[in-house]
Amino acid sequence: MGSLRAFVARKYRTVKAVDDVSFDIEAGEMVGFLGPNGAGKTTTLKVLSGLLYPTSGTATVLGFTPHKREPAYLKQFTLVMGQKQQLLWDLPAIETFLINQAIYEIPRDQYAATLKELDQLLDLGPLLKKQVRKLSLGERMKCELAAALLHRPKVLFLDEPTIGLDVTMQVRIRDFIAEYNRRHGATVILTSHYMADVTALCDRIIVIDKGKVLYDGNFRALIERVAPYKILKLQFEQPVACEQLAAFGDIASCDGMTAVLHVPRSQAAEAAARLLTQVEVDDVNFEDPPVEDIIREVFAGRVAGLGTAHEQTPAVNPAGAG
Amino acid sequence: MWRKYLALSKAAWALIVEYRAQIVIWMMNSILMVIMLLVWLSISREGAVNGYTAADFVAYFMLGWFVRNLTAVWASWELDFAIREGRLSPMLLRPIHPIHNEIAVNWVEKLLRILIVAPIITVVLIATPGVQLNLSPLNLLAFVISVAGAWLIAFMSDYLIGMLAFWTTQTGAFIQGFYGIRLVLSGVIAPLAMFPQAVQDVLRWLPFPYMLNFSVSIAMGRVQGEAMLLGFITQWAWAAFFVIAVWVAWKIAIRNYSAVGA
Repeated sequence: MGSLRAFVARKYRTVKAVDDVSFDIEAGEMVGFLGPNGAGKTTTLKVLSGLLYPTSGTATVLGFTPHKREPAYLKQFTLVMGQKQQLLWDLPAIETFLINQAIYEIPRDQYAATLKELDQLLDLGPLLKKQVRKLSLGERMKCELAAALLHRPKVLFLDEPTIGLDVTMQVRIRDFIAEYNRRHGATVILTSHYMADVTALCDRIIVIDKGKVLYDGNFRALIERVAPYKILKLQFEQPVACEQLAAFGDIASCDGMTAVLHVPRSQAAEAAARLLTQVEVDDVNFEDPPVEDIIREVFAGRVAGLGTAHEQTPAVNPAGAG
Repeated sequence: MWRKYLALSKAAWALIVEYRAQIVIWMMNSILMVIMLLVWLSISREGAVNGYTAADFVAYFMLGWFVRNLTAVWASWELDFAIREGRLSPMLLRPIHPIHNEIAVNWVEKLLRILIVAPIITVVLIATPGVQLNLSPLNLLAFVISVAGAWLIAFMSDYLIGMLAFWTTQTGAFIQGFYGIRLVLSGVIAPLAMFPQAVQDVLRWLPFPYMLNFSVSIAMGRVQGEAMLLGFITQWAWAAFFVIAVWVAWKIAIRNYSAVGA
């Protein structure tokens, strides 16, 4: 009955995918977008790349209004979507490269130089002559990135560029992005579910959820604010009295043979040294709190007074798509 | 721009070679005209039908087959897929309108079709006694221009229908419907001269006859002088209409495009 009703009378409702998201990114910056599925990360990137018309608010990238999609703008950025591809499926990647050379009007020598550089960084070599459908996911992503960078864009929007890749390949892609940014001073905006992508690449993160910015600022600063402690994992040779450990930090767990302490960052080294002289320790281990936990804290709204910590003038300012 | 077309065409050719079996099967599709020829030949065994002798039917359907191959379009399907599956997004990010790729692919595929179909048609037309064509240079020029107009109407109207996918997920039904109408009203099933005069008088003002029947009639020397001029004006007016319609609809559509599934 319900499906019949849906057949004749559909209900539509407006969902705000992105609502009042404001930020400003400097040239050459690498910024990570974090957020759960459906947070509005991709929507924001689509607005910035001109695929979506914002229903309200403005966006300016490189002095252009993205949704006007002027060729002069289109030639200066790239959007790589881990789940969408531009490579022609049934042809070798090099065919797509040649099309891009023509379409982006890349001079012959610049094309050759760029291709050589990308080949060096990504080890494309034999992949280029194979039909795309015969490539592995990782190989395809390398070609996909190369195709997206042939025109030497100044701004890179990377939407889940490492999705589905194994750890080795993730690291590979990550290193490549860092290197590209270093060499060409390109601005990179990255979204990823893999925290490691973001921690490895971006000094600055923007956390969004339900279309709103929860945090915008330095990554380290966030960690220090949310988790101003290090985790000290201890294993003892003989059972110890748990109360004895309270002198070194907050006891997160303790069963006599092992213990986990939270020690303020500034006191971590000193506390460990003291501990080693006073307690018979079999093994000791310092860790940073897992970034996932920190971000979860931010999502849960348990971090007070975050807002947008970043000092800003709203130049890049995509807001509201309904 | 020609450089871009060259690059797009090269890739299109590579794809066609990759899909060669598929192309041959699609060409079979257009063989409907050969079947219709057989039907009309058996009807005309008793004598001329509405001024068409058996030889005239051979000329009509062979030339029609030629024109149909030159005006075959499927851009609507491609566009529909691209929109629904979000593959349009990467295309929109390139500094070239996606329509240019479709055009390049379409032209390259035409080349292959002609290579296969033209020899067959030539042989049949020469071997059939009593076939009358007007092949004067001027008339040939008129034929070429009319085919160009036919292609423009066919391609642009098809693209326009494909763009419905921006608004509805059921574009396939519209495409099929339009193909059906086009089949009958452009003269694939029967020369439009077989239709009642009243119908012909209405059809004259619609775009359909100018996608096939008009060009064939020119080559057969059945449209001349003022009628041909009026035909051209009508044809190119429709062509211009569809080009502008695509342009305007695109502007509106792209605003609504929500970049699905990316």
